[in-house]
Amino acid sequence: MHEVSIAQRIVEVIRDTADRNGGGRVASAVLRVGELSCVDPETLAFAFDLSCRGDPTLDGCSLRIERVPARLRCRACAWEGGGDPFAGCPACGARGFDVLDGRELRLQTIDLEQA
Amino acid sequence: MSEIPVVRDVLDDNAAGAAANRARFAAAGVYVMNLMSGPGAGKTTLMERTAVACRGRLRIAVVAGDIETRRDADRIARHGVPVEQVNTGGACHMDARMLEGALSRIDLASLDALIIENVGNLVCPAEFDLGEHDKVMILSVTEGADKPAKYPLMFSEARLMVLGKTDLLPYVDFDPHAAIADARTLNPDLEVIRLSSRTGEGIEDWISWIERRRASRVGGTKD
Repeated sequence: MHEVSIAQRIVEVIRDTADRNGGGRVASAVLRVGELSCVDPETLAFAFDLSCRGDPTLDGCSLRIERVPARLRCRACAWEGGGDPFAGCPACGARGFDVLDGRELRLQTIDLEQA
Repeated sequence: MSEIPVVRDVLDDNAAGAAANRARFAAAGVYVMNLMSGPGAGKTTLMERTAVACRGRLRIAVVAGDIETRRDADRIARHGVPVEQVNTGGACHMDARMLEGALSRIDLASLDALIIENVGNLVCPAEFDLGEHDKVMILSVTEGADKPAKYPLMFSEARLMVLGKTDLLPYVDFDPHAAIADARTLNPDLEVIRLSSRTGEGIEDWISWIERRRASRVGGTKD
């Protein structure tokens, strides 16, 4: 259940961003979650709602989660594409990829209702 | 309503904490290992054995992570090794900031090696860099040989896999060759030590491994 601590961290980042932009209520936020990030989006959304409850800045804030597909580069032949990072390369069969996309856990935007 | 761009990594705070810990380890000249496994794989028992086997060879301390209780820390401390407990308060892994608190209570400069016994979990701890030199995992033979396929991140991040509880091999349906082969398809460079805390098999290999890694990452032991 590391989704709980991640949700709390998201709340901190949102609150910090809102404060630095003159304050106000945050109506929604967009989070990009890579498909290799080991985060369960449903659990995260649930934990996020709980973390926002009772917070004057964030109560009722809706979290939109965008999934980012994996993009890999083969270390042997430089093939690039999506797939399972733990399988063999579809082009040369070697194992071992650099993960270009798919591990992110990034807050993209927030919607601020300025007072 | 105004849309504010953020584009900030939610785990950036952990990355900053890990970098701070790493600088602290380097300044103190201490080798640091992040030890991970599922619950009940034998991390704490191995720490007890390690405490005894290191006497006169390596000065070590242990940070024991647990969701609740001090039981692990108390067990290890009985063997005369400094132990700090980190209770994660419900979280299933230790993060860099939680470790930071424990580090300030340890005299790092007096140590050759620090072992962080992470929370028992094969998923989450692999995601959180603590600033350590090496990630090490224990797979015990009672857990089943399918674990590499189920928890690929853990196996691909580890430098060493300790195959634990080998004294129980005659009683369980576990093929060590298959498990090691599976783990190495994920991580071709993975080193393996077969070990039983109960019989002592592999303990010497384990301590020598720590000495070797310390020598290559940090330098010789302190007098």
